[in-house]
Amino acid sequence: MGSRASTLLREEEIEEIKKETGFSHSQITRLYSRFTSLDKGENGTLSREDFQRIPELAINPLGDRIINAFFPEGEDQVNFRGFMRTLAHFRPIEDNEKNKNAVVSEPLNSRTNKLLFAFRLYDLDRDDKISRDELLQVLRMMVGVNISDEQLGSIADRTIQEADTNGDNSISFNEFIKVLEKVDVEQKMSIRFLH
Amino acid sequence: RPNRRQAAGRGGARARGRGKKPASDDDDEEEEDEDDAPKRRRGANNKKPTKKRGGGDDDDDSEDEAPKKKRGGAANKKRGGKGKAQDSDEEDSDAGKGKRGKKGGGKKGGKEEEDSKGKKGDAKGKDKGKDKGKDKDNDKDKKKKKKKDDSSSDSNTNSDEEEESLSEGEMAALMEEVEEKKKLIATIRNKPWRMKRRLFHLKEAQQFVDKFEGALGKGKGRKWYAYKVMMTKKWIKFQRDFENFRTACIPWERKIKEVESHFGSSVASYFIFLRWMYGMNLVLFGFTFGLVVMPEVLMGLPYGSIPRKTVPRAEQDTAQDYSVLMDFNGYCKYSVLFYGYYNNQRTIGLLQFRLPLSYLMVGIGSFGYSLMVVIRTMAKNADVGGGDGEEGEFTFAWKMFTSWDYLIGNAETADNKYASITTSFKESIVDEQENQKDENIHLRRFLRVLANVLITCSLGGSGYLIYFVVKRSQEFANRDDLSWYEKNELELIMSLLGLVCPPLFETFAELEDYHPRIALKWQLGRIFALFLGNLYTFLFALFDEVNTKLEEEQSIKNASIWAMKEYYANFTVMINDTLVTPPPMPPADVIRGPCWETAVGIEFVKLTVSDIQVTYLTILIGDFARAVIVRFLNYCWCWDLEAGFPSYGEFDISGNVLGLVFNQGMIWMGAFYAPGLVGINLLRLLSSMYYQCWAVMATNVPHERVFKASKSNNFYMGLLLLILFLSLLPVVYTIMTLPPSFDCGPFSGKVKMFDVIMETIDLDLPAFLGTLFSYAANPGLIIPAVLLMVLAIYYLNSVSEAYKNSNTELKKKMQMARDEEKNRRNNTDSTNQVMKDLEDLLPNRSLAPPPEAKPTKTKPGSAGKGVNLQKDVALASPNPNARGPVRQPPGPRGPGPGPGAGPGRGRGRGPPPR
Repeated sequence: MGSRASTLLREEEIEEIKKETGFSHSQITRLYSRFTSLDKGENGTLSREDFQRIPELAINPLGDRIINAFFPEGEDQVNFRGFMRTLAHFRPIEDNEKNKNAVVSEPLNSRTNKLLFAFRLYDLDRDDKISRDELLQVLRMMVGVNISDEQLGSIADRTIQEADTNGDNSISFNEFIKVLEKVDVEQKMSIRFLH
Repeated sequence: RPNRRQAAGRGGARARGRGKKPASDDDDEEEEDEDDAPKRRRGANNKKPTKKRGGGDDDDDSEDEAPKKKRGGAANKKRGGKGKAQDSDEEDSDAGKGKRGKKGGGKKGGKEEEDSKGKKGDAKGKDKGKDKGKDKDNDKDKKKKKKKDDSSSDSNTNSDEEEESLSEGEMAALMEEVEEKKKLIATIRNKPWRMKRRLFHLKEAQQFVDKFEGALGKGKGRKWYAYKVMMTKKWIKFQRDFENFRTACIPWERKIKEVESHFGSSVASYFIFLRWMYGMNLVLFGFTFGLVVMPEVLMGLPYGSIPRKTVPRAEQDTAQDYSVLMDFNGYCKYSVLFYGYYNNQRTIGLLQFRLPLSYLMVGIGSFGYSLMVVIRTMAKNADVGGGDGEEGEFTFAWKMFTSWDYLIGNAETADNKYASITTSFKESIVDEQENQKDENIHLRRFLRVLANVLITCSLGGSGYLIYFVVKRSQEFANRDDLSWYEKNELELIMSLLGLVCPPLFETFAELEDYHPRIALKWQLGRIFALFLGNLYTFLFALFDEVNTKLEEEQSIKNASIWAMKEYYANFTVMINDTLVTPPPMPPADVIRGPCWETAVGIEFVKLTVSDIQVTYLTILIGDFARAVIVRFLNYCWCWDLEAGFPSYGEFDISGNVLGLVFNQGMIWMGAFYAPGLVGINLLRLLSSMYYQCWAVMATNVPHERVFKASKSNNFYMGLLLLILFLSLLPVVYTIMTLPPSFDCGPFSGKVKMFDVIMETIDLDLPAFLGTLFSYAANPGLIIPAVLLMVLAIYYLNSVSEAYKNSNTELKKKMQMARDEEKNRRNNTDSTNQVMKDLEDLLPNRSLAPPPEAKPTKTKPGSAGKGVNLQKDVALASPNPNARGPVRQPPGPRGPGPGPGAGPGRGRGRGPPPR
């Protein structure tokens, strides 16, 4: 499977991606064929429109944010390497990897990196803090017009109040980690990529 | 940005970590480390200026070396036996390496080639040298290992050449290495290493052994390994499929989720209850159908063979009329649906099936099963309810950050998810409002007491009314000249009460102003009490009927015997030959007794059917017709129908739950006299699931205050248990005291129904068991046994009480600890500037993270505002405890022994996270 796609992908490239992201060879070729099928412009990069064609992203209230996460700042094209680097956040943590974590530096799919990825989805202005306005924006995307603005505001306030430990009225990454301490992020933010 | 910072930080940390290490390492490694350290530092320096991407790459370069080395080594060793490699992953990487090696293009490829050349060249030292020159870090461990295994790896590398062609030799080498690792594992205790290093080596060695031992063990082991790998994969896949299958098997899960997403968990709780009831009734149906109905149909005498299985001559003309059948008379009455049809033959069929015994056992067993299931479910639910303590800590934050399901790809599902997120937010808002409601306690208490007094009054009034009407109807029963009203007075009053009282109670409940969840419970309890009157009148009337039938029976019994005798006498007179045995009387002509059991059964079936009709019609008219009218008449009406007066209906949770509960009570009471009732009920529940799901989605609007149902619907279960007990009483009473009819049903001809058991004990069981039972039935034994049970219940009850207490105590403590921690953090931020300055002067300042601590100092004002703001927020904290301590001054720690030591300690221990 994916033999055609893999011919377009140079072996060295696969090797590099493998090292960077931890995907296996066959996963990379498989994802490459997916990449090329998404790439309607056939120029080896994906644009935002390409991503928006994925139904899961199109209907997701945070879809735009997720798509943004694929693009390095200031660019609107992403190549396969970048694509894989983002996807690597969602690679499940395997048992043997857990042991190695102490020795090798953190892989992209570690808990912290997964959380960081999620954090960035909410941190619209990339100031490493989720402010009340950012929460409000996300809330509006999630519940639409069904709840009054006033109530949305109090939900946002309440969320911050719950999570905020240092009293600066915003949620920092550390506070974010604290909130999701009991959530099984390793499991939830993992996609079972086919081998 | 943070990425880069982190990367740098990591690099720094690594360098520091390494810096510590050499103290314990061998001389040689120390050299290496010293060699490595500056490079690493350089690497870290390089990282800073590079852009994010570059940083990533840099990281890779340094990180990649180690795994590559390892993998490279593995590949080298395995190259010969590539074809035999079992693990597909391994194969993949092997293939990649092989190809790359051949191609030799690209930077890394070249490196790898050098690597392998080095190895081929069989020069250990040279190899190391090259590595040293090339590597930036991290393969130190690998080298260490190599050196340690000097002797073995020498032989390894010696045999490398042959491995190209010879898999045997390669295998031998690998085996040797495995042995080496095993030895290492065995002797690792004795090595003069640090614990960290020991652990590392142990882990590595174990992994290695695990991986390769089976793969190239002795011939057989190899196959076994392959088989094992394959089976593991298959097993994992099977488990996944099975899990999916199991989820798909939960009936109506999708429907209920859909309802839940639009109407909240409270409405969904009704449907979950309905589903649970369906499951229980399915089992009951299985019992009755499999052990009573089917044997009688298959092995018993056919229809028309004996009087009890035949429609009497007088009724035969109308037996097939629709109206008669709808009243469950005619053919219905003499069918397998009812008690009367069953024969009292002790055993039937080839299997010697003891039908009467089975009938009684199923009757009692279904009660036993229901009791067990209800109580077990209640216990399980109670377990769930007490399980998680972190409720209320991060409710909103979790909802905010984790509620969306990122795998939703279907627009309709997405709509549902939107609705459910909105609903769950609304539910939480209601809960919050309830929590922070600051109220006039005295007024509230007064109103609640008032409401309860009013409701008690109306309950008492309706109870007296029912009693009065029942009395009157008994008087009426003896008279003939009754008007229509007088005839139907009881039913009219009952349904009128059922119509008027629930809304009345609801109005009173407004006064109490409870949380809707609690209000629902009160409402349920009150209507339940009201309906008990209904039940009581029904049972009262029924027992009256039964008693008259029993009186009647005696005379009919004599008449029937007399008729039989006369028939035979006539026959002998006509034929005038005593030798010819007369043909039996045609079963349709035999005079029958009233068969009160069947009458009771019919009563229950009729009641159930009419209940179904009423429920469905109410939905059709009250909800559907109303919705249609409101929807379409709205175009041409003076006011807004949708928002104004009639509006759409809300789903009546309390009414529906109680309907279900009382219906189940009818089934339990009636199932003994009408085995077919369980089947009818099953159909009802099934259709009602679909019908009500449709109705609620199509015609109802969500409640004004969507509220979260309590996790356990134990309240419903409690009502059900009560009804079960109430319906158990009359059935057991009839079984134990009333004599069964003489000419119908499985117990005919016996004095009491339970004589069947005696008979079985006498005839089928060995004699000593009979005596045993007679001893066991002795009051002298039973009374102590009951006493013992009561004591056991008392003991268990007090134990569970104690556990509950300690549980709540623990929960409270946990909550307090959390609050304290939170407050401490807040307070350290908001303590005054003097404290901060003092703290800066402390010598142990180095413990506090300098860059992180800075921003908090600059804006104590805003931090303080943050604390205050908690009060301004419209949705206050979940419990007053959480807010309480904040209002206090910095607390017991602040003005502690020394002003400096206190905060200093606090800082060191828990720095404010940024």
